[in-house]
Amino acid sequence: MKVNVQLREDGDMLRGKIEGEIDTFTAPILRDELETITIGKYSLIELDLSNVNYMDSTGIGVFVGFYKKVNREDGKLKLTQLSDRLTRLFEITGLNELMDIETLKKVELSDGNI
Amino acid sequence: MSEKSIVEIVTEWDIVTARQQGRNEAKAIGFTTVDQARIATAISELAKNIYLYASEGDIIIERLEENNRIGIAITAIDKGPGIANLQSVLEDSFSNSGSSSVGIPAVKRLMDKLEIESEVGKGTKVRIEKWLKR
Amino acid sequence: MGYLQVQYEKILSDYLKNQSEENLYIGQNYIRQLIQKNITPEEVINIHKQAVEQLHGTLPKYVEHAYDFLIEVMVHYGLKVKEHQSLLMKQEELRIEMDIATKIQNLMLKTNIPKLNQIDIGMVSVPVRKMNGDYVYFLQDDGHHVSVAVTDVVGKGVPAALCMSMVKYGLDTLEYANNNPSYVLEVLNRIIEKSVDDSMFVSLFYGRFDVENNIFTYGSAGHEPAFYYNAKESKFYDLESKGLLLGILPEVKYRQSEIHLNDGDFIIMLTDGVTEFRKLEELDSRQLIRDIVMKFKHLNAQQMCDELYKQILCYQNYQLEDDFTVVIMKK
Repeated sequence: MKVNVQLREDGDMLRGKIEGEIDTFTAPILRDELETITIGKYSLIELDLSNVNYMDSTGIGVFVGFYKKVNREDGKLKLTQLSDRLTRLFEITGLNELMDIETLKKVELSDGNI
Repeated sequence: MSEKSIVEIVTEWDIVTARQQGRNEAKAIGFTTVDQARIATAISELAKNIYLYASEGDIIIERLEENNRIGIAITAIDKGPGIANLQSVLEDSFSNSGSSSVGIPAVKRLMDKLEIESEVGKGTKVRIEKWLKR
Repeated sequence: MGYLQVQYEKILSDYLKNQSEENLYIGQNYIRQLIQKNITPEEVINIHKQAVEQLHGTLPKYVEHAYDFLIEVMVHYGLKVKEHQSLLMKQEELRIEMDIATKIQNLMLKTNIPKLNQIDIGMVSVPVRKMNGDYVYFLQDDGHHVSVAVTDVVGKGVPAALCMSMVKYGLDTLEYANNNPSYVLEVLNRIIEKSVDDSMFVSLFYGRFDVENNIFTYGSAGHEPAFYYNAKESKFYDLESKGLLLGILPEVKYRQSEIHLNDGDFIIMLTDGVTEFRKLEELDSRQLIRDIVMKFKHLNAQQMCDELYKQILCYQNYQLEDDFTVVIMKK
């Protein structure tokens, strides 16, 4: 059970790929990794979650914390390639209407309902 | 009261020099092989702390004599970042339990006495003493 | 030390003369003494070295140096052992503190299930660790309304428990059971948002049952949808009510919806500890819950909760992964 974060710059964007399981034990590792990002440097931070095969509410906590930080520092955050399971987690918690989220199937999530 | 020798700690090899000087002095004073090993280990830990956290500093080794007893004192002085919370370095912690260093509490166990002074931004001074049992 | 040295020499010499099991046994008993007296490993090796010297005469330089080397490295080993012991003691202190904290939490966050003739209420809430990150709160007034809040704080253990006391405090200040769910959620959100850090939040399902008119009004803040069972249709519905988790944004509006409960209808409120099966990814856990409940719907609310807990626990191999809470209100 491990989590691994790879970050690379792409023009004025930062692309990240997160792999593994995000739970009570790995969430602090992920938080520390995200903490190292200089948000002001990028026009957009895009995190690919396609290889996150498990996430619990502690993981949600890390993304919420990071989302708030990005917002405070006038940055933009996008989470992409979420599995159905992860998408459901963001839907139940109402976070899909707050954060920019894209599911794995490339179906455009219309935020039209709210 | 004493003869002093000073070893400057700049590179990792200086740790070895400090250990050697301390061991020689301990032997000359009459400490047993086991106590010599303990004293060398204590010096090693203090010198390593200087090397890792302050990048440079001094290890001062001196012979103690008072009221018919003799012993050894080692003082480690650096101008490093200092320690904000002294209480925390005096307690065993889980954070160094996995590392190769054993920390201040262990050094204290090896010796008879340990004193520590530190000021953030100015540096740290640790003095340890061990007396010869008779 | 002198006495220990002499004793060891005797035991070692006996063993060297006769390698019997009895002599080995005596040796082990002797070591126990050393442990009690806190003799360090390097000292033990020194005792051995001196005993060998005593029995054999001066050792070859080669062997003597080998012993000295071992003494030297064992100093470090001994320190690590000591450190370990001291950490174990610290752990014990923490355990005692945790026990006290758990007792306080249990006392403070004790849930009393209301007893009413008009509606049957049952509940099971089991923490995965010592402290529960789930919490159920009931409120009732003079027979007009009974309200329930089912909450789950992100994370587990102590941080979750501390946050939970704040939720309870928030609910306490609301005082009346007839408040609108949307109002309750908005107030709680404000309290929690102000007082916790960025990555801490709470999900909460709030329901209010109007006893006279049999109307159940509910709202949700990022919480797992409740189930509604319609007895006439023998069909389950999800009580979806979209709303953001509590504690994320300062001003959030929450919706509320209502349903009419008829005889035999019931509502199942739960936390994600019930629906989350980490090891069985493919499992449709909500379908599983519906299937289990169908089998036990003739029982009373408490028995239904108990059965559901038993069955889910079995699916989880008797090892819960998260705090487990289920509340059933049955008409």
